[in-house]
Amino acid sequence: MIEQNLILVLVMLPFLGAVITATLPVNAHNAAAWISGLVLAAGLALMAVFHAPVAEGRILRGVVQWVPALQLNLSFRMDGFSWLFVTLVLAIGVLVVIYARYYLLKTDPVPRFYSFLMAFTGAMLGMLLSGNILLLVVFWELTSVVSFLLIGYWYQGQAARDGARMALIVTAIGGLCLMVAMLILGQIVGSNDLDRVLGSGDLIRAHPLYPLVLALFLIGAFTKSAQFPFHFWLPGAMAAPTPVSAFLHSATMVKAGVFLLIRFSPALGGTEAWFYAVTGTGMATLILGAVIALFRHDLKGLLAYSTISHLGLITALAGIGSKGAILAAIFHIVNHAVFKASLFMAAGIIDHETGTRDMRRLSGLMRLIPLTGTLAIVAAAAMAGVPMLNGFISKEMFFAEAVDWHNGTWLDNSLPYLATFASIFAVAYSLRFIATVFFGPPPVDLPKEPHEPTPWLRRPVEALVLICLVVGMMPGTTLGPVLNQAARAVLGPDTPHFDIAVWHGFNLPLQMSLVALLMGALLYLVFARQIAAGPEGPPLLHRIRAQRIYERLLLALSWRLPRLLHQRIGTEKLQPQLRILVLLALTFAAAVLWRQLAYATEPLANPLSPAFALMWLVGAACALGAAWQAKYHRFAALVLLGGAGLMTCLTFAWFSAPDLAVTQLLVEIVTTVLLLLGLRWLPKRREEIAEDQMLSARLRRLRDFVIAAAAGLGIALVSYAVMTRPLIPNIGDWFLRNAYKEGGGTNVVNVILVDFRAFDTFGEITVLAVVGLTVYALLRRFRPATESTNQPEQQRGEAAAALQDYLTVPGVILRWMFPAMIVVSAYFFMRGHDLPGGGFSAGVTLAIAFLVQYLGSNVRWVEARLTVLPIRWMGFGLLIAGATGLGAGLFGYPFLTAHARYVDLPLIGQVPAATAMLFDLGVYALVVGATVLMLIAIAHQSLRSARLRDQDTPEAESKEAA
Amino acid sequence: MTDFDTLSLWVAVPVGLLLVLGSTLTLLGTVGLVQLKSFYDRLHAPTLGTSWGTAGVLLASILLFSALDGRAVLHELVIGIFLLITTPVTLMLLGRAALHRDRAEKVRGIPPARARGDAGSDG
Repeated sequence: MIEQNLILVLVMLPFLGAVITATLPVNAHNAAAWISGLVLAAGLALMAVFHAPVAEGRILRGVVQWVPALQLNLSFRMDGFSWLFVTLVLAIGVLVVIYARYYLLKTDPVPRFYSFLMAFTGAMLGMLLSGNILLLVVFWELTSVVSFLLIGYWYQGQAARDGARMALIVTAIGGLCLMVAMLILGQIVGSNDLDRVLGSGDLIRAHPLYPLVLALFLIGAFTKSAQFPFHFWLPGAMAAPTPVSAFLHSATMVKAGVFLLIRFSPALGGTEAWFYAVTGTGMATLILGAVIALFRHDLKGLLAYSTISHLGLITALAGIGSKGAILAAIFHIVNHAVFKASLFMAAGIIDHETGTRDMRRLSGLMRLIPLTGTLAIVAAAAMAGVPMLNGFISKEMFFAEAVDWHNGTWLDNSLPYLATFASIFAVAYSLRFIATVFFGPPPVDLPKEPHEPTPWLRRPVEALVLICLVVGMMPGTTLGPVLNQAARAVLGPDTPHFDIAVWHGFNLPLQMSLVALLMGALLYLVFARQIAAGPEGPPLLHRIRAQRIYERLLLALSWRLPRLLHQRIGTEKLQPQLRILVLLALTFAAAVLWRQLAYATEPLANPLSPAFALMWLVGAACALGAAWQAKYHRFAALVLLGGAGLMTCLTFAWFSAPDLAVTQLLVEIVTTVLLLLGLRWLPKRREEIAEDQMLSARLRRLRDFVIAAAAGLGIALVSYAVMTRPLIPNIGDWFLRNAYKEGGGTNVVNVILVDFRAFDTFGEITVLAVVGLTVYALLRRFRPATESTNQPEQQRGEAAAALQDYLTVPGVILRWMFPAMIVVSAYFFMRGHDLPGGGFSAGVTLAIAFLVQYLGSNVRWVEARLTVLPIRWMGFGLLIAGATGLGAGLFGYPFLTAHARYVDLPLIGQVPAATAMLFDLGVYALVVGATVLMLIAIAHQSLRSARLRDQDTPEAESKEAA
Repeated sequence: MTDFDTLSLWVAVPVGLLLVLGSTLTLLGTVGLVQLKSFYDRLHAPTLGTSWGTAGVLLASILLFSALDGRAVLHELVIGIFLLITTPVTLMLLGRAALHRDRAEKVRGIPPARARGDAGSDG
């Protein structure tokens, strides 16, 4: 039990560290480094506790329920393989933290660096330990996101931003593929549990979807592990600070892909497709990386391509998939992490001390920084695979697998030759690194005079190089047991014990190694001069760069194609957009209802009342008149529209729907006034305009008339069909029966809105808030047509004088009405739960109260006396509604569960006190805020254009004077 | 309708009279709106309905429901007050707008604007 909790602690620790370091002051270098280091060291201590049970072959688990419905739980498991990997990550992490403490400049912001580093470690641990394949994807994506932040740490530089974005795009695309693969895997197996997936290899391999799963899975793993052709993001990520490179590209980020390959090889591996895809890609990457690395002049570029190459080696081993190959792959993961981290750190020191990473400028540093030089030489020798160093042994095992293992395919037959070929280049680039940087004539014209760095910057390198040496000389006693544990955890308990020894006799792998060493040295010695003089990349191949292809693709996909599409099928005009919208709606409605629209045999109907018919006649006349006048007499059209709205309102009242009638009336008022304010800014249409009378314009209008008539008739037909159907028992009856019993209110409409369907309402008010903000944002940058920017006729010349005080009396009366309207609004709100009213109508009422103030006096006058902060109203509205919903959670109920009761207040009597009322208060505030925000956005137009006019006039006058 | 059966004649008669008075005045106002010739004349017609027309109906309502409920039902007064305050605003705005338009279009028979001290030059 204690182990279960400790695993959870282990995963949470780095995230805790991230939170703590994020809150530190910007220059707290020591504190941040200590906290991060201690967090990682505590993690290592936990790993020591776990060692004993893991060594027994047990699998430790820790589970917390998260989303059980999706079979997605915070389930973590630790076996020998993940134990080794986690230990590696934590150990390198500690060293990286020490290194970073002395590497970062005094001015670099500390919290960002360490908190991202901690978060990344946490994501990595989560990925390694997750026992649920969906959880694994979650952490996988988290590593992508945090690595983006880490690579872009020095975001002031273009290279860092580009590199970070490229890494994110490539790895996130891979992550997406991986997610799909995992979802399909979960479906095939019937469980998302990692153990069950790993145990169902035969089932998965026999499934028809296996090729798809394999392809998606491999894209995910290859993008992360920078395998060809997705390798190009890794060199771009070298713009990151060196500690980040040392961490990401040695032990963590890029190893996640190979971790996944090895972890899932029992489930997905063992087929020919797997072998070809994985080993083929691995070998291609191995060779490509090694060849390109030799030709890079940038120190970190060389290391980056060498990393790609070594990842290819591990991938190839995972593709071979024999027991020895898996063991070798795990071994090489560890070895590569150790020597590559130390090399990155050494490169960082060189960069730090000399001010350049260009190998053509560096030379003879051995005399100036002998200690760092020695360390770097040993690490580079390990990278080259020199005997008695750790890189040699795992490379030997790779050669052995390449030679010994057979399945008879052409790829298998060529493996030894390809491996040797790549190794030659590996030796050559390692040699180039050593020879150019540390030997040769003393450096000239360096940006800085190199000195040995502070000892603590070197300590992590020293530790790592020591590991290189110890493991290289005593592999069996140091890493042997844990490696065998890890291999057993991957391959199953019947895996034989492998003896890892330095000396296997003068066998074929050793001969291959020797050939590679000799040929590599020869290659470098012969071509050293040409390489230094040549371009940044291998001859002929340097013109074809995957990064450039990626950039072209990105440009085409994210810039050209969208713009082309926008140009072709987009329009900025409102009319065509609306036309398309209406036509689409018409088409789909017609397609759905064609031959399906049936009318009730006995239409449900009331006897016709003459008064009602008369009312509707008026309403219909208003509506038709509005449409008729809309072109040249917008104001008349608006008035008529108001008439039609009023008739709708009366209809609701007629049919005993007071709630709807109230709402309709209020909404009608607001829309009419807002439209009226908007009309001011539309350019006038005059009948004299000649184009309006031409045939094409007439035809266009005729077409629009037909569309409008068709849409209107369609709606009428559908409404008629729906409303004349016989009544059937439906959900409405349930609401009527239960509104009081369950919701505690007699106003069923309101109870539905704030209780039964509160979640819908919550969504709707959110949309309303978004709409309000959108209108505001659009109108802030709105420039009215030139015809309407001038002052209206009524504000100019004589008219202005005559009409100066025309609103004095109405203004005063509207001011008197203000408190009364607030009372009405409060009244609507308070009685909403039981009688017509409620938060929405109350909110609109209050908004109307503000609205009429703006109408009755001028904007400046109102705003000098009355401050409405609509954004805050909206914000508080959403907060209140959301908090009420969450409040239910405190009592153990689902989101937005309402509670209703009556409270006895002295003097007033029984008062309903439902939590729904609080929710309604949120609705109320939000409606007020959104409506007033739109109002203010429109009202301020007149202020703004007045200001614009003021700016324009002096200029115009000065021009005239000149 | 059972409630109204119990209503005593002393209440029913004044309520009926007030209702008839109010609705007749409102009707007259509406007829006037159709019949009168000029816009300025027509402005006056609906005031019949909004003044005593409303008052008659509201008083009838007060009387009736006070008698039925056995207590003073007075919230109709609020309706009356609000109508009384707000309808002049509408009419004023309409009238001034019409006047402005007619002056701008130089319609004959419209008196010119009076010169005002604070407005500076006029006319």
